[in-house]
Amino acid sequence: MSQAAIRVEGLVKSYGRIEALRGLDFEVPAGQVTGFLGPNGAGKTTTFRALLGLTRPNGGDVEVLGHRVPDQLPELIKSVGAIVEEPGLIKSLSGRANLEVAADTLGFGHDRIDELLEFVGLVADSRRAVGGYSKGMRQRLALAAALLGDPRLLILDEPLDGLDPAGQHAFRSRLRDLALEGRTVVVSSHDLSDVEQLADYVVVIDQGRLVAQGPLEQLLGGRATTVVADDLEQAMEVLGAAGFDATREGAALLVDSSDGSGIVRALAAAGIFPGEVRPERSSLETVFLGITGRS
Amino acid sequence: MSLLHAEYLKVTRRKLYPGMLLILAILVGVVAFFLMVFGRIAPEVAEGVPVLTKPLAYLVGAQQVASQTWFPLVLAVVVLGGEMGTTVWATSLTRESRRLRQILARLVVFSVASWLAFLVGTAIWSGLAAVAAQGSGSPTAAEWVGVAWRMGLIALAWTSLGLGAISMLRSLGPAIGAALAFSFGESILALWGPYENASLSAATTGLFGTAMDGFIGAFLPGTDLGVAQAIGIILGWTLFGLLLTWWGVQRRDA
Repeated sequence: MSQAAIRVEGLVKSYGRIEALRGLDFEVPAGQVTGFLGPNGAGKTTTFRALLGLTRPNGGDVEVLGHRVPDQLPELIKSVGAIVEEPGLIKSLSGRANLEVAADTLGFGHDRIDELLEFVGLVADSRRAVGGYSKGMRQRLALAAALLGDPRLLILDEPLDGLDPAGQHAFRSRLRDLALEGRTVVVSSHDLSDVEQLADYVVVIDQGRLVAQGPLEQLLGGRATTVVADDLEQAMEVLGAAGFDATREGAALLVDSSDGSGIVRALAAAGIFPGEVRPERSSLETVFLGITGRS
Repeated sequence: MSLLHAEYLKVTRRKLYPGMLLILAILVGVVAFFLMVFGRIAPEVAEGVPVLTKPLAYLVGAQQVASQTWFPLVLAVVVLGGEMGTTVWATSLTRESRRLRQILARLVVFSVASWLAFLVGTAIWSGLAAVAAQGSGSPTAAEWVGVAWRMGLIALAWTSLGLGAISMLRSLGPAIGAALAFSFGESILALWGPYENASLSAATTGLFGTAMDGFIGAFLPGTDLGVAQAIGIILGWTLFGLLLTWWGVQRRDA
């Protein structure tokens, strides 16, 4: 993994008798979009609050952008933008005025407000009262507020929750743009399709513990490839000779390898040109249900 | 200035503040009616209810308005409490170098807002007194200035305690309940002699003490406190509220 933007080891947090986090370990790579997955009550929001110094863990180590939390929060927090719980927008104020209030409260200048309104697509509505905004527009405004300090790391708790498909698409696009600029984006969600369409890397937690983490592609499997060819028996023989383990699956072969180009090269060398070579992926939902034991 | 401006917008652009002003105006109007009009129009029903006359009616009215300490308490608790679950508040307080500024900006803006509400209430009372109270005369300009700064001090202390309540409890309902219970309980406790010298309620009365001579002031603790002592007590409670706020913010890890 590239350099970690977030490193968490043995994180423990209890609320009375309720153990929200039970020795959670994970890492988030820098400069990518990481999906932070877990069912409701898994400990996602508590983890985010711990990352931002909003809750004090009972144990464990948290390091964000190379700074220990909470000890080095003052040096760190300017580099972090977040939407955790309610963004705190004032409905009677315009979108622009809300950003001005947030900038003043956080101690940032107003110089990025125009740029951010444009980035989140709210220039035309910036003078309207936020009370008249759709949920998607409010979330985009909250994203703009989180970006006021030009942060290197964005931590967003369920930002797509409740948005319509168009709103989700617009929001996802903005987040991808931010990752392309080199920022690290961490997005929590219980909606697996959100993360599947957005994330490069995935951390899955359940009952306060890590159950899986890794690049999305790796987590989704990709270890098998389906091959369709005219003469399946001959193709199977050729692939076997090339070291691939292939089995017949109806009118196709299922090859236990993700090396699609290697499979094509082996077949082509024997004069077989497959009609279709398709990587087999599990859906994130299947993987998630499997690793959390809920299938 | 920008932080003060942000707090100003948060207070003035919500429905809460005008709503509370309306409630204050209604309360002031009702009390003014009973103390200046009711005894005259229905003396047989209002037997024993004193009838205020000018010019005392103005200053007693100002004290009545200043005794509406629920206003700064509730304003501080609700405005700050409404922010507490939000990202901006949370992350702004995480930045320790700005924490004191954040708290002081809220103290200043909420206190000024409450002080202005007290002045509006006093204006309403005075308008009613001018029309309905018997007698003649009105306070001097110096007396009005005295009323104004006294109200400012009272607003400051009770705002500070409201900030302390919500910072400690971090939940609107319990914080409002605790603040109002404190306000009520403290005024009862002030009847106990040894505590009177430290009581915020007594000090509030003490600030206006001379206006109450010969009237219901005889029943209120604090009329014997000197103005300097009353100011000291009020500033002490203000500091206590600020310390509570600071402590509450420090331990905000639920």
